[in-house]
Amino acid sequence: MITDFPKSPLPLPDPAELSGELAAFGGGSIIPKELRRTVFPVITKEDVFTLMLAQRQTPEKVVADFAESYRATVGANFALPTASGTSSLHLALVGAGVRPGDEVIVPAFTFIATAQAVVAAHAVPVFVDIDPRTYCMDPAAAAAAVTERTRAIMPVHVHGLPADVPALRALADRHGIALVEDASHAHSASIGGQVAGSFGDAAGQSLMADKNFPLGGEGGIAFFRTEEAHRRAADYVREHGIDYEMSWVAAAFGSGQLARLPYYDAVRARNAELLGKALDETGLFAPPHVPEGHVHAYNMYRIGLRPERVGLEDLPVWAVKEAVHELLVAEGVPAREWQNTPIPCHLPFRHRDGFGGGHPFTLNPSAVRDHRPGDFPVTVGMLESTLVLCRELRAPVEYERALRYADAFRKVAARPDAIRKLVADGDYRRPYEKAARLG
Amino acid sequence: MELFDTATVLTRVLTSGVVMSIEKNDRELPGLERLLTKRSGRAHAVLVNSRSAAVHSALAGQGIGHGDTVHRPGLDAKDTAFLAWLGVRAVEEDPGAPACAFDHIALDAHTAHRLPELAAGSTAPALVVDLTPLGFGPAAAVLTDDPAIRSRAERLKIFGAHDLRTMWTQEEDAADLVPGVQFNYRLSPLVAACVRMALSQAVRPLTSTGAAQ
Ligand SMILES: Cc1ncc(COP(=O)(O)O)c(C=O)c1O
Repeated sequence: MITDFPKSPLPLPDPAELSGELAAFGGGSIIPKELRRTVFPVITKEDVFTLMLAQRQTPEKVVADFAESYRATVGANFALPTASGTSSLHLALVGAGVRPGDEVIVPAFTFIATAQAVVAAHAVPVFVDIDPRTYCMDPAAAAAAVTERTRAIMPVHVHGLPADVPALRALADRHGIALVEDASHAHSASIGGQVAGSFGDAAGQSLMADKNFPLGGEGGIAFFRTEEAHRRAADYVREHGIDYEMSWVAAAFGSGQLARLPYYDAVRARNAELLGKALDETGLFAPPHVPEGHVHAYNMYRIGLRPERVGLEDLPVWAVKEAVHELLVAEGVPAREWQNTPIPCHLPFRHRDGFGGGHPFTLNPSAVRDHRPGDFPVTVGMLESTLVLCRELRAPVEYERALRYADAFRKVAARPDAIRKLVADGDYRRPYEKAARLG
Repeated sequence: MELFDTATVLTRVLTSGVVMSIEKNDRELPGLERLLTKRSGRAHAVLVNSRSAAVHSALAGQGIGHGDTVHRPGLDAKDTAFLAWLGVRAVEEDPGAPACAFDHIALDAHTAHRLPELAAGSTAPALVVDLTPLGFGPAAAVLTDDPAIRSRAERLKIFGAHDLRTMWTQEEDAADLVPGVQFNYRLSPLVAACVRMALSQAVRPLTSTGAAQ
């Protein structure tokens, strides 16, 4: 039987390991190779049973029941289940009234799907920089990008932290344009108790199996404030012959998972807090910033570097980052960059071929720009000075694993000499000088 | 397919823990691709999450996009609307074009065993196979012998990344294979596993033992 059940448990942390040689230099690693696997999503007997029961119902009812229970959880007015997060964003834009040739303001830092969903709606993405603390769309940059043809602002709740919705809502209202959320990282994230996905005129959200709220493979959901927006999106797929429906198999799996989402959210919050405290104490590492009243969902956990705290301020921060990255991976913490290039500098937005022949970019030539990374200094600065944990904290990992992550960061932070040596010997480049990565 | 068989397949995949389409260890999607190529005699199968995604992939795979006209007689209203959304015009007659741009078949529980014969009868460079009527939700495939069609279609469904090895980078040297607009047209492994079981059973006549009779 092929199973993901772990072969053996992780040993409890041992303070002696902290002063051992770094794994990159031949010492033992904090998380041994054979114990590094993080299981996600967690699949239980309830999930299996829910799928079995779903076979006895009509596919339409399985999908509709799922969508209705999740809509109620989020507190959105109307929902449309879809085949993917990308298709949900496409329909959120359409529902919000985005028409061919319109401009939609999106952050330069997100997953490429956010911007491609705008193109799917035959509209033109206009890229703006992010806030240096939250990594979400900078409301001032968005305000500066509004033109007469702007139809919507689409912030992304990056990594699970809600964007500055009050400021963006006010901006949208001032110009009479729509606010459309990309809530793909932000299941259960909230501001003042209101849940992401219910802030905007519309929202799209990925429910693919690597998201905090996973369906059985691929899926997404669009939310709408008004019945009219919901109807516009539903009519659109019918009118254009687009098949965007969710599979009942994916939906049934989600119904099982939804019941346990609050549990997993609580474990993520617990582990993020534990690690955050440990990181802050290292000096070198800074935990994610969470504004007052915001609840972060921690789909990803972006860690900042403060080389000046350990006497490394003379080194280029991106080189420090690469050296630290190597050291952490060797200790058994598979940190990642998660993106290295602003989205407008990725191939599809440099060539702008779109559906072919440049459509829809040719509908609105004044909205397009040939961007360079330097146009988005905050995004570039963040990419150069941060590392990301993904599944390592997204999964409801055991307490001892979370403790061991903290130990790995402590062990690395205690060795600025090793970081300095790697930087001196290494041939490190800025993130965007490497091939653009999607994730 | 009997409920028991569907239950067995779903439980098997859930027990493996691999339900994500972009997971390196997934065996269900490659398994269905192999079955489809073997049955159809085509070199490549590109799995997608719906019928319209397959039509889009078949066209984009041939570099057909907005502003182009294709020879494709007999399209129904839904497909005609979808092609119009892509900016592609379909004409009934095109003396300049030898074959139509794509053929299309749909398989359900009763016709699934006819895939070899239906595929043999198709002469278009891309064959769209709608697997939705098998009953596991929207699912489809594009079958082709042309590696460029496969390559472009694979990139269309996963934001320009070609496969799990080059995953997440959009290589410069393959720029002409990277589609401009990109979607998530990925099929779920759980759905693929059920489709594969349904197609496997379609060749042998069902022999029932005991209880089900
Ligand atoms: C921010 C963001 N938006 C949109 C998407 C697209 O979702 P999907 O892959 O389900 O189409 C993703 C992730 O995959 C994402 O991270």
